[in-house]
Amino acid sequence: MQPSAARDSWSELLDLVGKQKDQRAFRQLFSHFAPKLKYYALCNGLASHGDELVQEVMVTVWRKAETFDWQIASASTWIFTIARNLRVDFIRKMARTPTDGALDAEVLLGVPGEDEPVANVQRIIAERQVRELLPTLPIDQREVLGKVYMEGKSHQEVADELKLPLGTVKSRIRLALTRLRVQLEQS
Amino acid sequence: MSRTHHHPEDVLLMEFAAGVLSTGHALCIEAHLHYCETCRAAVSRLNLIGGAMVSQGAETSVPDEIFDRVLQCIAADEPAPAPAVHKPVGKPLVATLMDLPFDQLPWKRQLGGVSVYDIGASQLGCGERRVVLQKLAKGCKAPAHTHHGDEMTVVLQGAFSDETGVFLEGDFVLRDDSHTHRPLAVGNIDCISLSVLDAPVRLTGVFTRLLNPLLH
Repeated sequence: MQPSAARDSWSELLDLVGKQKDQRAFRQLFSHFAPKLKYYALCNGLASHGDELVQEVMVTVWRKAETFDWQIASASTWIFTIARNLRVDFIRKMARTPTDGALDAEVLLGVPGEDEPVANVQRIIAERQVRELLPTLPIDQREVLGKVYMEGKSHQEVADELKLPLGTVKSRIRLALTRLRVQLEQS
Repeated sequence: MSRTHHHPEDVLLMEFAAGVLSTGHALCIEAHLHYCETCRAAVSRLNLIGGAMVSQGAETSVPDEIFDRVLQCIAADEPAPAPAVHKPVGKPLVATLMDLPFDQLPWKRQLGGVSVYDIGASQLGCGERRVVLQKLAKGCKAPAHTHHGDEMTVVLQGAFSDETGVFLEGDFVLRDDSHTHRPLAVGNIDCISLSVLDAPVRLTGVFTRLLNPLLH
């Protein structure tokens, strides 16, 4: 597989930001991702802080772009982990849980490339498969994935909200993982 | 290949990747990941799903001035960018939270060969006795106990065995309250674990259960 064929256009733009501090490329990334990040913030209950979170994420994207490696993760995966980490920190700050730089979500949860296995073709294939297969998930599976990833809910919270047994929530998730061909070796 | 044999469930790794676990639970997963390449690969797969969900998700409009603010923050950065937070190398995050090595921590002796250091209360701002380091002195067997709710454990040093198996450094165990267990430290070294408890431990032995009020 040719590397350039495996790299999506957002990863190419992010690469330009990292290597050349290309502001036009950054503008295009912002136009594409900012509205999606704001939706992510709103789903997580951060209604009045959506713009703030978007701003923090995109500033961080710029600052860390040098470390972005499209072979380790695509731009959308990489940006997701940044958004996730900042969301976790945000929520902890709002809850006024004492925070400590050593426990920043970036260190606790990680960012691709900073502690991941070496890039491989399987990961690039998996990235494309997940993108293509996600829209084909049955509604009930898509719903539980959405509540975990987009609304920041634990499986128990999802079970409580949907009035389902916890086992059913876990089964749906596992079915979704199988359907997305995300085979987790240890399961 | 993984050095460990006991892993978190796939669904729990998903909660970790989605960023929905409590700090204590996330610390346990992070510690296990330090030792386990298989689970690290699993988490990288699970991150992919997060990326796809956001990029295929709906959109909410963002005011133009947000981009201007972003550019202002970036301009203020130059030429010295903000320092990156570095992940500790060579040990799990929990081990770096204390200034002292394990053997010099102010352990509190409990029954049998068990000692506890309440890392949650001292370092994480969690409630008491919810996130702890537990030390089982070498050769010792913990008093019979159970707990209300779940107990999540990662072995950080040494090893223990109980009714369900042998657990080595890096191994991850999630137990519910449906059974009692008596871990035994194996090998010639104290067994130290990170343990996250939903509720304080209850002693269940015929005599030791009388001591429960005293321990709380």
